[in-house]
Amino acid sequence: MASPLPQVLLDGLFAGGTYALMAAGMTLILGVVKVINLSHGAFFTLGAYVAYALAERGVVSPLAAAPLAAVIAFAFGVFLGKSFINPVRSHPFALPVGTLACALLFEQAAQMVWGPHPLLIGSGAPWVGPGGLVIRQWGVIAFLSSAALLGGLKWVLSARPGLPLRLIAEDEEIAGSLGMDVDAIRYLTFGGACAMAAAAGALLSPSGAVTPTMGRAPLLLSLVVVIVAGMDSVAAIFLLSIGLGIFGNACAWLLSPQWSYVALLAAVCLLLSARPAGIVVLAGRRD
Amino acid sequence: MTVNPRSLFRLRHHLVTRAALILYLFFSVFIAAPCVAASPSDTLKIGVLAPLSGPYAAGGTSFVQAATLAVEQANAEGGVFGQRITIVVGDTQGRVDVAKAEALRLVSREKVSALVGAYLSEETVGVMEVAAAQRMVLVVPVAATAEITDKVRREYARYRYVFRVGYSLPQWAEMIAAFLSDRKVRRYAFVGAGIRWNQELGETLERSVAPRGITPSYTAYYSPGNPAFDTVAVAAAASSPDIVILADPGRNSVSFLKRLRESAPALPALSVGGALGDVRLAASIPLSAPVYVQAAAWRGLSPAATAYVERYEHRYGAPPVGYSDTLPYDAVTVLVTAWRKAGTVESAAVVPVLERGEFPGVAGMYRFDAAHQAHWGTGAGALCGSFVRWERSGARIVFPPR
Repeated sequence: MASPLPQVLLDGLFAGGTYALMAAGMTLILGVVKVINLSHGAFFTLGAYVAYALAERGVVSPLAAAPLAAVIAFAFGVFLGKSFINPVRSHPFALPVGTLACALLFEQAAQMVWGPHPLLIGSGAPWVGPGGLVIRQWGVIAFLSSAALLGGLKWVLSARPGLPLRLIAEDEEIAGSLGMDVDAIRYLTFGGACAMAAAAGALLSPSGAVTPTMGRAPLLLSLVVVIVAGMDSVAAIFLLSIGLGIFGNACAWLLSPQWSYVALLAAVCLLLSARPAGIVVLAGRRD
Repeated sequence: MTVNPRSLFRLRHHLVTRAALILYLFFSVFIAAPCVAASPSDTLKIGVLAPLSGPYAAGGTSFVQAATLAVEQANAEGGVFGQRITIVVGDTQGRVDVAKAEALRLVSREKVSALVGAYLSEETVGVMEVAAAQRMVLVVPVAATAEITDKVRREYARYRYVFRVGYSLPQWAEMIAAFLSDRKVRRYAFVGAGIRWNQELGETLERSVAPRGITPSYTAYYSPGNPAFDTVAVAAAASSPDIVILADPGRNSVSFLKRLRESAPALPALSVGGALGDVRLAASIPLSAPVYVQAAAWRGLSPAATAYVERYEHRYGAPPVGYSDTLPYDAVTVLVTAWRKAGTVESAAVVPVLERGEFPGVAGMYRFDAAHQAHWGTGAGALCGSFVRWERSGARIVFPPR
């Protein structure tokens, strides 16, 4: 029998794609709105439940569910950004606690609506590649979607439409003095990031069970990715996600599944101690 | 512009008062109301400890539903000494500290007459201390760690109030070993979340199957934070087992089964109970190879089991999973029967009755040994549970042979 290692590494690539998909929205929130949003995982869960609700009505397509989930999450995100994030932004400790409360509130609401039991969406049979490699459909979707999403984000940030976001990320006072509606841009950005998390949840819903607390694990990993990669380079976020995915799976294979998480977080700590501001920091960046 | 400090103080006072009022209303409506069932003084209360929020909420919810059903059944049969029974629920959140605090609240503030719970082994070991200190009967439905009955055996005087209706890990392993023998399994892969009871079950199972010539081909425990399912599924399949045993009652078992089916579509799997017993998943469980689930009881095991499943389904819209609901149902039933036999709810009188009596339940006839452990296993007179196999039309019992 051929060595399973190529399969393990391929799955690591797909796992990295899932981290990147979540990290895309987190980058925007941390970079532009400058808050640690602990409700990001709840929007991921919301996206998965939208996909499930559609599947129940006969539309078993995460690709179809993703735009709908994004629209719903954008509306919620804008509401949350305008009514809660913006007013309490100046209190740094209130925001993580507040967004965590929002996440728990959503988990309870999801439990009341859909029940606490795990729900399943059909994932379709995987493709079999050369050498018997199993190519998981949702993995390909996660990898390609994260590449497209982060590529799109990189383009937006480097092109003219992204100028306000870059300016606010760099210096809010200057952006305000130039006549930009900083508050509106902030809550719209927050809504956009929530939409990205929900789209990620819808796209990844066939990979496992849909439950009210499913957003907790991706939240932590995406936060880690964004902090370690730094918010100055979208490409670094993508590459680091993929790297961590492969590294985690390789550790699970070579050491043990329990050690993979420890090794992954230990690697993150080492990276942060070497580069506290993130792997990529642009020259002249003001903190 | 000048600001009067007194007006600022008044404003702050006003805000604090309003905040306190809102918090009070929130807690009384959303927190206290569901936990404290309306219970006039002529009712007997049973404290039920289960996780209703957090990652174990699915199991906890069916736990409470089954306990509620058991109490309704007992009340329909006339209650106890003409008094109605109610349950008072404490949400343990899957945390030891919360479970202990809730147990204390149920005993000291709610004045319950006995406790049923908790869900996780760690929680239950914590709750045992409260029950021992308060000298209150605690019936343990699902927590399986050997520590519970070991404590009763070692320190009988202190822990004599604790009885377990669910199977202990050695009993559980013995039943799985018998099933593996029946399926002619020679090699198995054992996979589960890296929590305490899973690891204990894995080690105990290894010892139980060794005399039958069955060996593990792969053992792995994943971190609940980062399950690394893909790698575990690939490695389990690569070890060429005859079956994969999923020792995880939660949602991760469902996710893992999907990954396993993608990696090895023809490899049979056995869930030791929990989420994979949920009929709502049956339509989407990949059945390219057999999927077996162990349960304490299943529809068709006995007339009592069938009646219970039908009552549960009628009441809650879906049949029970056969583990985290059936055992709490029997725990409440055994407790109520013991109260009736003892003629009182006083712990000192109920304990000897539980030690010596026989108590009918959905899974069969419960008898407790010297360590206050119900007699599960493969021998004569033991409660044996069921192993079912999922099919598109539902699940059917495949072991023990009937």
